[in-house]
Amino acid sequence: MIKRITAITANTLTELTRQKVFYVLLIFALVLISSSVFLARFSFQQEFQILKDVSLGAMSIFSSLLAILATARLIPQDIEDRTIYTILAKPIPRWEYLFGRLLGVLVLLAISIAVMALLFVSVFHAREQTVLNETTRQLSAAPQEQLRDALDAVRANALRHDVFFAVAAIFLKACVLAALTLFVSTFATTNLFTVFVMIAVYFIGHLQATAREFWLTQQSAGWLTKSLLAIVALIFPDLQAFNLADEVVAGAAIALAVFTKIGLLGIFYVVIYTLAATFAFYGKEL
Amino acid sequence: MSDSAAVAVERLTKVFPVPFRRQSIVALRDLNLRVEPGEVYGLLGPNGSGKSTTLKIILGLVSPTGGSTKIFGRDSSLVESRQSVGFLPENPYFYKFLTGEETLRFFGKLCRLNAAQLNERVRELLELVGLTNARHQRLSTHSKGMLQRIGLAQALINDPKLVVLDEPTAGVDPAGSRDIRDLIVDLKQRGVTVLLSSHLLGQVQEICDRVGILAKGALVREGRLADLIAIENRSELVLENAPESLLNEIEKLAANSEARVVERRRSTTTLERLFLDATKE
Repeated sequence: MIKRITAITANTLTELTRQKVFYVLLIFALVLISSSVFLARFSFQQEFQILKDVSLGAMSIFSSLLAILATARLIPQDIEDRTIYTILAKPIPRWEYLFGRLLGVLVLLAISIAVMALLFVSVFHAREQTVLNETTRQLSAAPQEQLRDALDAVRANALRHDVFFAVAAIFLKACVLAALTLFVSTFATTNLFTVFVMIAVYFIGHLQATAREFWLTQQSAGWLTKSLLAIVALIFPDLQAFNLADEVVAGAAIALAVFTKIGLLGIFYVVIYTLAATFAFYGKEL
Repeated sequence: MSDSAAVAVERLTKVFPVPFRRQSIVALRDLNLRVEPGEVYGLLGPNGSGKSTTLKIILGLVSPTGGSTKIFGRDSSLVESRQSVGFLPENPYFYKFLTGEETLRFFGKLCRLNAAQLNERVRELLELVGLTNARHQRLSTHSKGMLQRIGLAQALINDPKLVVLDEPTAGVDPAGSRDIRDLIVDLKQRGVTVLLSSHLLGQVQEICDRVGILAKGALVREGRLADLIAIENRSELVLENAPESLLNEIEKLAANSEARVVERRRSTTTLERLFLDATKE
């Protein structure tokens, strides 16, 4: 079982990395992260804040786009090209095929996010060193205590371990989107339909928490509104829950408990959507 | 009884519902079919007669509305039933980003071949289908005939006992078609059961032991090819270097008996043989 799933995962990864769209997206994200260094020339606090904001934002958008675009075509393309017949005519259960395909996308997402995160941390570290050196040079004549306070102030605005929670949350969000795209693609008739549905889901997923909060705090929210909101919450993932970047940019600490909760939520969504995709795929006439 | 068959199809019915309409399409109705181990069985029929649907149900790709299909006694809806089955779909496309060798390795891994088996099998099959020199070429550069041969190689990767071929020579030139036919004959000699669907009646006649003719989802004829196409009250005598006088003598003898000479003509070769001889290097 593991050997078969690994074969499909590796094949999916090869397929995706041999597509130009992957490199276009990745290079665009990397350029954006690198160029964010030049976006700010104010105080180091503002510069660090913008660097975190732009980089985490770029990682979130590009990983979400990659998750949707890479997953949307996998199953419909295999059906259209009839490659699915030759695969499923081998002694391989449908769920293994689906799982292997999804896993291939998730590995690709992990690699892409890791590359982007590495670049982000490197760029940030380089800027931090530059600011520290500049501060040391500027305050070379100042008393030691003043210099130490200034350097501590720079370090206080630097990256903390919280940023890895934010990056992991971005990865989880991309995994949720990939799993949901897989589910939609099992019954969609075209890739374009899947992509459009997923873009709609992306926006609804980001806005639903705000909408829910707004409506539920209204005194006038009746049972109909509440039921509708409950259905929306059940069908669409709460993508805003995976946004830890705002806290990181603001310099707030992220508690391990909060991250664990998000992690469990992400796993829950991925499992539910993968099960739904498997159920839909088992009933599909090929 | 059915457990001894390589493929046993009993009372198979498949109805495709038409979305947003009350009517539905009956693709197969009460189909019964048996393919014995070691034989080459040809499934014939016009477009839309249900050939591909039958093959897909046998392979578990489509679920039947009624009836049952078994492969070597195992229900074909079970994944295990495909343990020793190879399948070549009609006009197959594979992952174009893979080379011929990578394609075979991928399918070999799906059949749980270990590294040593994989190396050996891939080498053997590339040689068998004549693609050893093109092993490192991406499939996007392959001709239709080469793709068909890779398709055949992947169908044989797990050394199957049953090979299902859907229009194996569709779109392939006569030389490629002949190679595929020779390969099927070779499979038969090695005891492999072959179930194939084809439009090319001449080819089916040449290689199949038994045939079934499907029309509108029902089996309208089935049996040993020799029995089905034999004309009971006619015989043929093929002579080489026979002088005209001898032929006249035979005709006279026939005229003096109850027999009647229906036709007298020179033997001809087939257009395919002529083509193959003319294009041979």
